[in-house]
Amino acid sequence: MQIFAAFEQSIQLELAITNIQKLGIDNIYAVPLDSGPEDIQLLDTINRSDGLSLSSVGMVLAVFCSVIGAARGFDHQWGPIVWGIIGAIFGLLVGFIGKMVFYKVKMKKIRWVKGKQPDIILIIECADHEGQRVEKMLWEHAAIGVGKAVDA
Amino acid sequence: MPSFKQARRPLANVSIWGTTYIHKRNPYIVALWSATFPGFGHLLINKYVRGYFLIIWEIFINQSSRLNLAMSYTFTGDIEIAKSVINVNVIYMYIPLYIYSIWDSYRACVELNNLYILAENEPSPVKALIVKPFEINYLDKRSPIIASLWSMSIPSTGQLYLNQFVSAFFTLVVTVVFVYQSHFIEGIHYLLLGDVHHSTAVLDRQWIFYLPSIYFYGIYESYVNAIENNKLFKAEQKMFLKEKFPVKGFKFKGAKVK
Repeated sequence: MQIFAAFEQSIQLELAITNIQKLGIDNIYAVPLDSGPEDIQLLDTINRSDGLSLSSVGMVLAVFCSVIGAARGFDHQWGPIVWGIIGAIFGLLVGFIGKMVFYKVKMKKIRWVKGKQPDIILIIECADHEGQRVEKMLWEHAAIGVGKAVDA
Repeated sequence: MPSFKQARRPLANVSIWGTTYIHKRNPYIVALWSATFPGFGHLLINKYVRGYFLIIWEIFINQSSRLNLAMSYTFTGDIEIAKSVINVNVIYMYIPLYIYSIWDSYRACVELNNLYILAENEPSPVKALIVKPFEINYLDKRSPIIASLWSMSIPSTGQLYLNQFVSAFFTLVVTVVFVYQSHFIEGIHYLLLGDVHHSTAVLDRQWIFYLPSIYFYGIYESYVNAIENNKLFKAEQKMFLKEKFPVKGFKFKGAKVK
């Protein structure tokens, strides 16, 4: 039988392969998936930041606004620390909202991606009686999905 | 055709001192970071020696010219005080190098982006695990959120989490000097006790203005580097899987979709 499993890339994936090899199964194939060129996420995830990050401009603005806020704070009631933090949050928000508006207006055709993205399709060829053990192994190592094709 | 054993333009290096990886960056963001603090833009594009040089220079000249102090008085409208605190003998040296650091980081970023495009499709093998007597480094996935949260506590911990050893050491030393000299923690202490007046009085008006940039830079750098670190991990693993488990001689045995 043939077992197909979709994985997100991680060390877990290699552990799964190693453990399956330990069962004496050697017919393993891997098909890496490329992510679509137009995929964009509003907030960066663990896997990507493509210069489109909402935070990048906001962070720089936070520094500038925080410095100005702290300086003005020396003359105001709440003092430089509070005004510095208010400035930083203000800068972050302006950068964040500014970019969000930019995306909404300029890039309407974007395909937004959400949730876990499979990176690898793993194919394991094994005897029918081994199927259950292999499948269990795959789920234990964080497979996103597992499917079976029984010999026709 | 000559055959190259190694890639002509290897994009990544994994060592016990850190993981260095050339990737695409937005040159405007790099230039903006140079504008917040000369040297930060260079650190972002992994030109560490240049970056540290510029940072040390900026601290030296800012201290000797009392630029931060003058800037802070300017923002509160006390122009006469600002004029009187600034050291005219030194301040004009600040301007050319400030602008140079912005320009140079922008230029270098564009050049590195071009090199990245050229080398992108060349497989350049990196070691996935380095073991040395005193330190270990390896490619693995790290969470950018965790990295930036640590950097919020004290800059350098985020970099340490990513095994950026040299970067973390330098950041830690600079942060400790800034926090100590600015009496920042003392200021927070009195602020939390509700004594705003005392809190303001205790802060050093020259040193405190280094803090926003060093904090936000640390948060941003560790966040971005965590993501790029993950990309490098994925690229290396994909290359390994393609080579070790190629789809050769595979025949689908399932039933056809009707």
